Amino acid sequence: MDTIITQTEQLRSFISEITFKEIDEITEDTLLFEEGVFDSLGFLSLISFISENFGIEVENDELNEENFQSIKSVISFISKKKNVLE
Amino acid sequence: MSQKANFSRDLIKLKNIEQVISEITERLQNDVFNILRRKGAIVGISGGIDSSVTLALAVKALGADRVIGIIMPENDSSDDSKNLALQLAEKFGVKTIEENMTPALEGFGCYKRRDEAVRSVIPKFNPETDKFKIEIKQSILNMKLPPVFNATVYFADETTESKMLPMKAYLQIVAASNFKQRSRMSMLYYHAEANHFAVIGTPNKHEVKQGFFVKYGDGGADIMPIGHLYKTQVYELAEFLEVPKTIIDRTPTTDTYPAEQTQEDFFYQLPFETMDILWYGWENGYSAEEVAKEMGYSPEEISNVFINFERKMKTTDYLRMPPIHFSK
Repeated sequence: MDTIITQTEQLRSFISEITFKEIDEITEDTLLFEEGVFDSLGFLSLISFISENFGIEVENDELNEENFQSIKSVISFISKKKNVLE
Repeated sequence: MSQKANFSRDLIKLKNIEQVISEITERLQNDVFNILRRKGAIVGISGGIDSSVTLALAVKALGADRVIGIIMPENDSSDDSKNLALQLAEKFGVKTIEENMTPALEGFGCYKRRDEAVRSVIPKFNPETDKFKIEIKQSILNMKLPPVFNATVYFADETTESKMLPMKAYLQIVAASNFKQRSRMSMLYYHAEANHFAVIGTPNKHEVKQGFFVKYGDGGADIMPIGHLYKTQVYELAEFLEVPKTIIDRTPTTDTYPAEQTQEDFFYQLPFETMDILWYGWENGYSAEEVAKEMGYSPEEISNVFINFERKMKTTDYLRMPPIHFSK
């Protein structure tokens, strides 16, 4: 649970930093693309961020809404990937 | 009040090509001579359809003796590009000047910086023997998220390796490659200033609206005479203006990376004929359902394409913005 909270905070802080949005405006349910938080470079930064900080490699066929539409879905994607690695 | 026509593929076709050409040439003539007060036009020609039509329009507007075609090959240009550009110039009776851009690009470190970024992702890449390109693997039709680029290397032993590009490598490849368009722009302005001519730009409507151009590169010119035309319409003009058939029949390429690459797999993700009509539908407020019915896609697929169009327009605003001038 602690890990999930930490990961959520890391992602919120990262997204706030690269999108110039106030951190309070970003929740784990914010729709990152539908609500226009991210553009294409933002998406690329997010992929690089989770690869560097959570040690997972993202594949082309994993670039979908289920895995990336919100912080919650990103956390769940990271957790699924880590389970496969372990 | 006029009623909007039912959506169909034919909506995009030019109703009166002759009139369109005459409007463009009259405007070009006025802009070059009276607004810019220049004696003629410089056009960078690559053997592609857009620069070919632009040159043909410039000749019609100003006369062949007032137009110079500049051919600017570099290390990664295909031989076809130069040959087709020469064919075009001969057909329209235009003087050409060839400028080899490779030494300037080497001076900028274009190839070195770009290859270094590719090697950071695919360490086995050897620019002396292997070729590479960057491409989008996802389909615009079933993706609500923005596209992500891959670097694909074609090794000399005929094997390939493709890797998703991380942010840093992607930005470095793009920034280094953009030296090509920007140094070409400098060369065009050299010839323009040396002759007291204007630079005529070649981007079409998609390139302008979707941001498929380099700011202060191919986006840097005095006039953009085909910037309001869809690629389909540029082809219609090409037929009418009798651009050589070898140019009309050639698949549009980027001619930017060492491996052969169509504009479709680099940027548009759809054939231009389809892209044009979908963009027309989106721009003119047709619903995803209406467009889907005519084009044989599902409404969801069309809706995904529309989302992508909107995103591209928004995220490329920066490219179309002039410098921000402060006033008191």
